[in-house]
Amino acid sequence: METLIALLLAFPLVFVVSLLFDGIDRKLHARMQRRIGPPITQPLYDFVKLFSKERIVPVTASLAIFTVLPPIAAAASILGASILLATLLFGVSIGGDLLVVLYLLAMSSVLVMVGGSSSGNPYGAVGLSRKMSMLIAYEVPLLLSILSVYLKVNSLSYYDVASAQIMAESMLALAFPSMAVAAAAFLICITAAADAVPFDVSEAKTEIVYGPLVEYGGPFLALFKLAKSASNLALTLLAATLFFYLPASFGGGASLGLGSLIICLVLALFFWFLTITIPRTIFARLKVGQAFKFYWFVALPLSVVAVLLSVVGL
Amino acid sequence: MVDKRDGAKEIEVDYTRLRIPFGPVHPALKEPVSLRVTVRKEEILDVNVVLGHVHRGIEALAENRNLVQTLYLVEKICGICSHSHTTCYVQAIEEIGGIQPPERALYLRTLIFELERIHSHLFLLGVLAYEVGFDTLFMFAWHVRESVLDLFEKITGNRVHHSMNTLGGVRWDLDQRLIDDVRVALKDLHNSVRRIYDFFQDKTVEKRLCDVGVLDKDTAQKLCVVGPTARGSGVNMDVRRDHPYAAYTHLKDNFSVAVREKGDVYARTEVRLLELFESINLIQKVLEVLPDGPIRVEENVIRLMRRIPEGEAISLVEAPRGELLYFVKTNGKEGLWRLKVRTPTIPNVLGLKPMLVGCEIADIPVVVASIDPCMACANRLVVVDAVTEDEKIVDMDFLRRRRRKTWKL
Repeated sequence: METLIALLLAFPLVFVVSLLFDGIDRKLHARMQRRIGPPITQPLYDFVKLFSKERIVPVTASLAIFTVLPPIAAAASILGASILLATLLFGVSIGGDLLVVLYLLAMSSVLVMVGGSSSGNPYGAVGLSRKMSMLIAYEVPLLLSILSVYLKVNSLSYYDVASAQIMAESMLALAFPSMAVAAAAFLICITAAADAVPFDVSEAKTEIVYGPLVEYGGPFLALFKLAKSASNLALTLLAATLFFYLPASFGGGASLGLGSLIICLVLALFFWFLTITIPRTIFARLKVGQAFKFYWFVALPLSVVAVLLSVVGL
Repeated sequence: MVDKRDGAKEIEVDYTRLRIPFGPVHPALKEPVSLRVTVRKEEILDVNVVLGHVHRGIEALAENRNLVQTLYLVEKICGICSHSHTTCYVQAIEEIGGIQPPERALYLRTLIFELERIHSHLFLLGVLAYEVGFDTLFMFAWHVRESVLDLFEKITGNRVHHSMNTLGGVRWDLDQRLIDDVRVALKDLHNSVRRIYDFFQDKTVEKRLCDVGVLDKDTAQKLCVVGPTARGSGVNMDVRRDHPYAAYTHLKDNFSVAVREKGDVYARTEVRLLELFESINLIQKVLEVLPDGPIRVEENVIRLMRRIPEGEAISLVEAPRGELLYFVKTNGKEGLWRLKVRTPTIPNVLGLKPMLVGCEIADIPVVVASIDPCMACANRLVVVDAVTEDEKIVDMDFLRRRRRKTWKL
């Protein structure tokens, strides 16, 4: 019961923080392009504005799937991020919640994809096939890097991973070479999971007009955008806490709670900047084959190495 | 699967093929052109280019106006290469009237011409970067282009439609202060263009542009493609060198024609990048050797217009997109019998099919942008019924009937 209340309390926090991070991302992106850029609260305004727009369902779409999926997708990724925030804030411990978070985040991507293909638009169909290739490309190394964390800490509870770092008074990525490699693989995967250039092949606005999102507008689009921001927040926060739990290195008992949450969020923002903002500023979009190859020949070997290293005990 | 209809004919239905409508409204295409693309998975099997979404009837309109009014009408054919159109038109009229514009006017025309080439190429390079998802380069290229537009404003007072040309010369002169301004701006421009050149060597950009949309030399010659599209495929042609006009007669040795053999998108891009450097050098040369003297033969352009006899002429210029051709037939009474415009996009758009077949969906916007299409310039004749997809050629009688109808309204 307490867990549930903690999760519910974290819901609005995720909503505001993820959209604000999105705004900061857009602002930094603009400044790097010599533009002024929107105010950092712009995604919040957009969300409110989109909700005041009419709901349009194309005649070719299958009504039920098209309209039901956006709220579920948003709920899934907000829930994923809330589990992380609640753990950091209240010390809630749920066994195996790391897998649940990853499952929820993957589900929100799959729902966007399915919703898009149910619109009956050929661009949605192309977006579906591209997103599927990308999912296969980045989910495997992502899970493998989590597997190596499991092998190291011997637990799939997010709370346990954080407390293991607190006990060791050091960050995992700095303490063990295997964790450093796993962190690298995880960070590389964030770029694709966030659909950021150069790996935004499934949305690619100049090629397939935002792919799965092509027919969505108004509240549906707002929910999908929220789902995207929340899952980005969850992923960057995972990277910041699983591998780089900064409060742990300060030592002492005060390693969970509001103070450490703020430190972790700032770190998450830094990783957001590193893995999403910078690539989308300095790279051109790859084609789906090239992106797929990159993940199978760079990220996958990295994560396999991480698993092997942690099996050996490094 | 086999679909039987009335038992008479068996039709193969291939469900792995998907027909994607690309345009006429699409975020990747800045121009209203419709590509009917048949794909299997990501591979393009067939392309059908459908034009005719922005036919404006300018050629017919020109027949109702006098020569000077037409000068400002043809300028509106294209927002990017407006100076090319007016130069081409004015040259034809001057040939009919036997008018020789003063040397200084010819040099000033050349100056604006090359500035226009720079701004057109920067525009396209930005668009190309945008198509491959490289927004930073897109913003930078257009930021640089802005400085060229500012130069236009300083020289002619207008940023887009410069209205520089008039019958028998040009309308605006350069003083020493302006020349210095242009010199300073050119120096900055040179540095920025060098940076853009370096940007285009980026690995991810190269991955998207190399070996994509290949047009081999034979096909290029068969389809008569022109301009950078032809030069990227190894066809060594440039109107400025082959049929010099304006001040190019004297400047022939001051520029070289960039030709690349590969014929892919990157080759066409590289040709444009090198042309940017050539244009900057050419402008510097023009500023150096700019002769003194008047800038037009006659102050009163109306008096000049009345002296133009009946006759016909063909005029050629090298617009930023390639060879631009005008056929002009005057009626000797201040007006035109016929104006025929052949813009570079008309032959270039034919090259799209051989370029696109065999590519992926992801390549469509890049390849289409790489010929620098200007659809508003190229739309002719064909009317497409969007519902039934019937196409019919519009003849002159139909247009006249339409015009009468419009007049009645």
